[in-house]
Amino acid sequence: MAIAAELSQLLSDEDRRGLLRHMLLMRAVEERGLSLYKQGKVPGSFYDGRGQEAVSVGATWALAAADPVCSPLIRDLGSHLVKGTDLADLFRHYMGRENPLSRGREGNVHFGDRRRGVVGMVSMLPDMMVVAVGLAMAFRMRGEERCALTFFGDGATSRGDWHEAMNWAGLDRLPVIFVLENNQLAYSTPTQRQFAVNPAERAAGYGIAAVTVDGNDVEAVFAATHAARERALAGEGPTLIEAVTMRMHGHGAHDDMRYVPTELVAAWAERDPIVRFAAAQEAHGLDVGALREEVDAAVEAAVAAALATPMPDPAHAAEGVFCVGEPEPLGNGLAPWSGFAPVEAGVA
Amino acid sequence: MSSSPTDVQLVDVLMPQMGTSMTEGTIVAWSKAVGDALAVEETVCEISTDKIDTECPAPVAGTLAEILVAVGETVDVGTVLARIAAGAAAPPRRYSPVVQRIAAQHAVDLARVPGTGRGGRVTKQDVLAWIEQGGNGAAPPADERPLHSESPYRPEPVAAPPPAAPDDLGGVAAPLSRMRRSVGAAMRRSLETAATCTTVVECDVTHVERRRRELGLTALPLIARAAIETLRDFPELNATLEGDTLTRYERVHLGIAVSLGADGLIVPVIHDAQELAVEGLGARIKELARRARARQLTPDDVRGATFTITNPGQYGALIATPVINQPQVAILDLEAIVKRPVVVTAPDGSDAIAIRPLVNLCMSWDHRALDGAYAAQFLTALRRRLETP
Amino acid sequence: MAVRTYLQAISDGLREEMRADERVFVMGEDVGAFGGAFKVTDGLLDEFGPERVRDTPIAEAGIVGTAVGAAIAGLRPVCEMQFADFVACGFDQLVNVAGKMHYRLGLAAPLTVRLPSGGGFSGGPFHSQNPEAWFMHAPGLKVVAPSTPQDAKGLLIAAIRDPNPVVFLEHKHLYRRVKGEVAEQSEPTPLTARVARAGSDLTVIAYGAMVHVALEATEDLDGASIEVLDLRSLVPLDEQAILASVAKTSKVVILDEANATCAAGAQVAALIAEHAFEDLDGPVRRLATPDVPIPFSPPLEDALLPNVARVKEACRELLAY
Repeated sequence: MAIAAELSQLLSDEDRRGLLRHMLLMRAVEERGLSLYKQGKVPGSFYDGRGQEAVSVGATWALAAADPVCSPLIRDLGSHLVKGTDLADLFRHYMGRENPLSRGREGNVHFGDRRRGVVGMVSMLPDMMVVAVGLAMAFRMRGEERCALTFFGDGATSRGDWHEAMNWAGLDRLPVIFVLENNQLAYSTPTQRQFAVNPAERAAGYGIAAVTVDGNDVEAVFAATHAARERALAGEGPTLIEAVTMRMHGHGAHDDMRYVPTELVAAWAERDPIVRFAAAQEAHGLDVGALREEVDAAVEAAVAAALATPMPDPAHAAEGVFCVGEPEPLGNGLAPWSGFAPVEAGVA
Repeated sequence: MSSSPTDVQLVDVLMPQMGTSMTEGTIVAWSKAVGDALAVEETVCEISTDKIDTECPAPVAGTLAEILVAVGETVDVGTVLARIAAGAAAPPRRYSPVVQRIAAQHAVDLARVPGTGRGGRVTKQDVLAWIEQGGNGAAPPADERPLHSESPYRPEPVAAPPPAAPDDLGGVAAPLSRMRRSVGAAMRRSLETAATCTTVVECDVTHVERRRRELGLTALPLIARAAIETLRDFPELNATLEGDTLTRYERVHLGIAVSLGADGLIVPVIHDAQELAVEGLGARIKELARRARARQLTPDDVRGATFTITNPGQYGALIATPVINQPQVAILDLEAIVKRPVVVTAPDGSDAIAIRPLVNLCMSWDHRALDGAYAAQFLTALRRRLETP
Repeated sequence: MAVRTYLQAISDGLREEMRADERVFVMGEDVGAFGGAFKVTDGLLDEFGPERVRDTPIAEAGIVGTAVGAAIAGLRPVCEMQFADFVACGFDQLVNVAGKMHYRLGLAAPLTVRLPSGGGFSGGPFHSQNPEAWFMHAPGLKVVAPSTPQDAKGLLIAAIRDPNPVVFLEHKHLYRRVKGEVAEQSEPTPLTARVARAGSDLTVIAYGAMVHVALEATEDLDGASIEVLDLRSLVPLDEQAILASVAKTSKVVILDEANATCAAGAQVAALIAEHAFEDLDGPVRRLATPDVPIPFSPPLEDALLPNVARVKEACRELLAY
């Protein structure tokens, strides 16, 4: 897909700064989170998307305020950040403290700020892909100019829900964007042991267009998602975007990924999404150092606020299983791309 | 009845030696029935010897487990008359949670409450009925004569519904009581099951009347004894019919209908009635009626009858068509004894008018099991027995 | 009021809600052009069009999962599983996504899943199940099971208006066999139990098709006065009504058409044992289908499902206790 020429029109300098900032933020949050985890301040497990920051940041940058993400997965923290999730709440959530996102009922990257149009994931993958198809179906039924976006990994494509979602969305040409994060591994299982034919090649079998991009090139990911969104809103149906990347840490903090050949890791380290994009922006005159400092300061402030927050009150542990009264609607997120008119975050 | 624990001790009650010359004694009456609680020294039975009539006291506290010698039988000194299951005064009864709660709320001593549930357990209805009756149990009505009909009784629930207002014709509607519904269902079921026919034979009870006065009994045990003997010759009537299966019995388990006043009717059973003489039958009938009115009958007391006698004659009706007690094939109803002028034939063949007490022997019988001729023959044979001195 | 069959009452409920609320739509296999395998949705496509009466691929996970998405987006989907048995294919979406969503994320998923359930007509192992217990056990799902036409309509309306996922068990053996008075423009039925017949000697607790078995078996049983309690709602379970009935009669027989182990009746029995201990005058009796897949041949199926004769026997035994 030849996108370089159009990119200069699509992305402004502010956009590029924003893209870098969010990738830096994702990495900083996850590094800090891992450190807190090792200090015993984060219960359960810790997952990060190191080396994959370009995928979630680039894709979400292309979404309008009213386009929900359903759902960011454990490598997709960048999506939460672009949509405007509060940093302090995010750390509170990691640490199991009282917070408006999950109230301590969920952990690690299983959450979503419904006020910002993010639906939290479940562990069974890719269940949320089907839900995203349902959101898209609702938008079509109501004639709304909206699309839904969902992430799933290479491993998740093996489960039945992937087939049902692909088939359903392709059949009705629904306005949904399927982002396949092919990071080479599902825990310890390489893609060679996951499927006989790459899912992107199989998309045509569902009547769905597919495109493969360099998942470590944030602009390419943005461009592909932007194009997919346009197609969706034009009634041309879903697009499967295969973003090829590499998981640079283990499956979780508890996994040292010894099953991955070190040469592979070294090769991908050369293609770190942040390193090369930051170098390019610095060359263009952006003060990357100052940006890093601002990001680090924001993270520190958030961590401090979170550490001061109490754990949730056990008296409320059994509440809220059922909704009583009118449901709260799914809100709109931030949409920082310069191509959109500025919007307020929150309820539409 | 409830089962005894496996390690219960059975203690014998022996015919006592009342004086060195006594060699044998006769049972006059049993003061307790099997299953009754006994305190130590409490009278178990009354005996008669050639020298003295006396009582046999219980050697231990416990429950009367077996009666081995019938009333009227004479046995040697030292013979085991009965056995007592030694232990607590009564086998420990267990009360269900709701019964305990109700008893606690109303300060009821559950040991005094008779149980009509399975194995004699006290049911919720039993304790509620006990409370409603003032906790004294039902006093036996002054009239002791048994009455007609059958049904498993259950006391009324505690609260009666408020009476309805009269309708425009002055009718006041109220639902039937549970007892009425229960009796009604049993009656209907019997009439729907059996091919019920009734045969009546008129019987001169002059001899019966004289004999009963001599014995100090009512006519019922005399007629019962005669009926039992007659049934030996008419075995088809001492039977039960269930579906297409007719079961004949060599032994006679005689049901005697007892009225419980407002609580309906019940038919306790004298098992092996053929073993009892007239006096024994009289005593047993009296005892069963007493226990019935005190709500002390057990399920075994009301099951297994092969023939039923009902005796509502006190109300003055002359003829009735009783409903057969399922699954038996016959029921004998004794109506009022009325003095009438009858024709008597003297030995020389001349006829004269005499005043005689007459009663109608009304027997309903199941045409599925037997025919009218058989039924009539039974009744005339019974009549002949009763009319023969 | 009009006399409607159980099936007609469900159709009426769907139609009235779809007219009253444009957010309500129907989704399932063969529900549109064909009118539904049992014709419950017959005529809806003509009236409401293909956007609101959606024929789906054979994809139960897809049906439930997309319903969750649509519900989050503010619509009110009413999904149909063609037979209750097939909900197993959508179990994960229903239990893990829909059921847990509000607790975890504060996001409501107001969807209704209609399950034509139950046996008694040689449907065999995969067309006769009563899977309600699976969903009673999953936090976040409401479960209702009407036995009368009025309740079928009223509970469906209640389910559609409820902001939570509701599993709606419609017993297919009742579709055309049960008729009753149904109010036009019905109100939602509350998620409570209903005394189908008042009594004082013993209570039979049942739901769905078993309510009719219970009523028939205890109509004229030795003159005894037998109360029949129709649960109607399994989650939430009307604990107060159950305990009040047991307090009144002190003897209870619980009926399940579902397989015995951990059926709804097992939960009711546990509740009674724990909270009505001092009201009991006899053991809590349960009658249910044994833990056997429902067989196809009529004598085999008849031997397993609870029936009028077995209910009578159980009641007689308990009455005599």
